[in-house]
Amino acid sequence: MRLPTVEDIERRIPRPEDFQSRARGTQLTARVGVALGIAFGLCFLTGLWSHAQYDPPGWLPIGPQPTQLYRVTQGLHVLSGIAAIPLLLVKLWSVFPRLFIRPPTSSWRELAVEGLERASIGALVGSSVFMLASGLLNIAQWYPWDFSFRATHYAVAWIAIGSLIVHIAVKLPVIRRGLGAQIDHPEQHLDPDAVARRTVLVGAFASAGLAVLLTAGQTVPFLRRLSVFAVRDGQGPQDLPVNRTAKAAGAVEGATDPAFALEIVVGGRTVTLDRDQLLALPQRTHRLPIACVEGWSRNAVWTGVAVRDLIAMAGGDPASEVTVRSMQTRGAFRTSVLPSQFVEDHRTLLALELNGEPLSLDHGFPCRIIAPNRPGVLQTKWVRQLEVTS
Amino acid sequence: MRAARFILGAIGVGFGLWGLWLMRDFTGQQLVSTGVWLAGGILVHDAVLAPVTVGLGVLASRLLPGHFRAATSVAFLLWATLTVVFLPVLSGQGGKPDNDSILNRPYLASWLVLTGVLAGAAIIAGLRRRAHASGAAATAED
Repeated sequence: MRLPTVEDIERRIPRPEDFQSRARGTQLTARVGVALGIAFGLCFLTGLWSHAQYDPPGWLPIGPQPTQLYRVTQGLHVLSGIAAIPLLLVKLWSVFPRLFIRPPTSSWRELAVEGLERASIGALVGSSVFMLASGLLNIAQWYPWDFSFRATHYAVAWIAIGSLIVHIAVKLPVIRRGLGAQIDHPEQHLDPDAVARRTVLVGAFASAGLAVLLTAGQTVPFLRRLSVFAVRDGQGPQDLPVNRTAKAAGAVEGATDPAFALEIVVGGRTVTLDRDQLLALPQRTHRLPIACVEGWSRNAVWTGVAVRDLIAMAGGDPASEVTVRSMQTRGAFRTSVLPSQFVEDHRTLLALELNGEPLSLDHGFPCRIIAPNRPGVLQTKWVRQLEVTS
Repeated sequence: MRAARFILGAIGVGFGLWGLWLMRDFTGQQLVSTGVWLAGGILVHDAVLAPVTVGLGVLASRLLPGHFRAATSVAFLLWATLTVVFLPVLSGQGGKPDNDSILNRPYLASWLVLTGVLAGAAIIAGLRRRAHASGAAATAED
């Protein structure tokens, strides 16, 4: 009886050539990789766009047109991320044996190069899984971590895309060879029962497509019935899903106070209007979407007073920036800023009705903001004050 | 070509460093949690998901008749990857108890149907392949 030596253990660890499936191969990896790269690129760009919509940089004045823009970009963001999950799993499966390549022992230089490449692949795999897992959990409002989702999902996105670009640079000759070669070996037919690479490729694409079809109904209306795995089915009070209830936002007390009156602050002057006075003002009705960062969206018919009319009535310039303050006592986004290009648009409403009924409490009673092309979280509910801030 | 690859690599390294720089104000707790999730993803894949998949593949190639191999592989690919995608909605976690407009579908029932359909499709495809193969063999003998 002796203790196992390092050599004994090494012998028990599989080697790349121990993996027998002939379906693996550069031809498959390169093809799945191209699809995965496209999904990641789309996801990254739409993600950057979403951050720009949350905090518009000065040089990019995002406006109310096109009305459905954020709905489309954020829907694409979530769906490209979902499509990437099966593609990533198949891609990792196709190269799994390479994990067991023994480090080169010929020279320190080779060892260093191998180490660097391994590190870049570690960064790529870690950040890719991180992005897809954190995004997937976030859309189900499940946050089993101690980091800030928004800041971390954004920072790690740069690591994921950066390490993907490094990976493409390193592997470019291999990718070209893989794409240039026929996907299956001409002698494939010698074993009629073997799984062909084409079969795996078609399976990976089918899985990505099915994953999209079975979840896209939360943003694509005609898929709603088919998307049995969507986080949202489009239903909710007044035919519209709710992201945060009045109870969760700590807004019940303020919102149901019979003494409620909206404050409109222009310069040093404050005008107050209760809900009946708001209802007595000229009303406008528009069909506008709620488009959430979590990738769900739905159009609804909103009736209320245009914010520009309220500002003008209080003596302000209807092309001003307006800060909106909510009665909610919990959670982020209690305050939002409507840039002047949104205030100017007569479709930017302080809504009082939704789909022909008075707003329900969870949709922002007594009044809420609804504007075209805005992330849902900036469509402030339970509004108590509008202030002209520039 | 070499120069283009070099430039591409440099851009990638720059992007990655920018991502790290964005974390400069994270608290220790946030950094630890981020690190756990980054490393955890690699570990869960390389130490659990991938070995289990390879193990099942080896098992299937020993136990299943050849005719069923391709169909079973594709069905498993679809089933396993889709199950990963649907894990959050199947978990019963997430959402809030006072909000019934989220996670409001019978996900488990849908997943059982999906599992059944894929298993059924694999069996039917395998049987048809066997029938086809024995038919071809019979024709060859005639």
